[in-house]
Amino acid sequence: MTEQKNTLDLPRFGECTFADSDVIEFPWGLPGFATLRRWLPLNVESHPSFIWLQSLDDPAVALPTADPWLIFEDYDPKLPAYAFTSLEIREASDFTTLCVVVVTKNAEEMTMNLMAPIVVNLRSRKGRQIMLDNVSYSAREPIPRKIPASSKTA
Amino acid sequence: MLVLSRKINQSIMIGDDVRIVIVAVDRDQVKLGIEAPRSVPVHRSEVYEEIRRANQEAISAPVATPAGKADRATLRPRK
Repeated sequence: MTEQKNTLDLPRFGECTFADSDVIEFPWGLPGFATLRRWLPLNVESHPSFIWLQSLDDPAVALPTADPWLIFEDYDPKLPAYAFTSLEIREASDFTTLCVVVVTKNAEEMTMNLMAPIVVNLRSRKGRQIMLDNVSYSAREPIPRKIPASSKTA
Repeated sequence: MLVLSRKINQSIMIGDDVRIVIVAVDRDQVKLGIEAPRSVPVHRSEVYEEIRRANQEAISAPVATPAGKADRATLRPRK
């Protein structure tokens, strides 16, 4: 069965086509965006390391994120119990982890939020930004200037 | 805001399954005990604020509009 396609004209990305099954629902919102519940993960050809979470409720809002292990290979978030129960995840294959990237005003420094990863259940497509109990991770960990263009060599 | 007075070892209920107990009071510091289901996140407000500010900055940062077409990203579990 062919799925219904939706098209949007986005301020940052221009025209974009997606299916309902691409959408990630954040039932609890995100800190700072409590009322924005539906987000679309986007890739841009020229910046393959980034996954942009584009709000479908407010087209002006797009949150840059990336796979933390592309940059911090030793990252070892211990997800608290509420992450597993509220998102109904059991094992590593159930979910993906994204961390929000902040670019400073002069665009000279990028930081990644390792303290509060965004976890998405890949089957239910429900997501939540999870605050780690162990606060040894920074919400603004500096990213080395050069992000690898593709996944690290295994 | 609802304001309640409590003594040490007294508590308040929030809904049916969250209990907050006054454990100790020492000058301007209060120790609270929190009993909540495992599905309920409990954080200091400052931590939540820090995450909120970082998220807000992330969307307003002057990232040049990315060149190239935006496509649906396929999300995969960590290998």
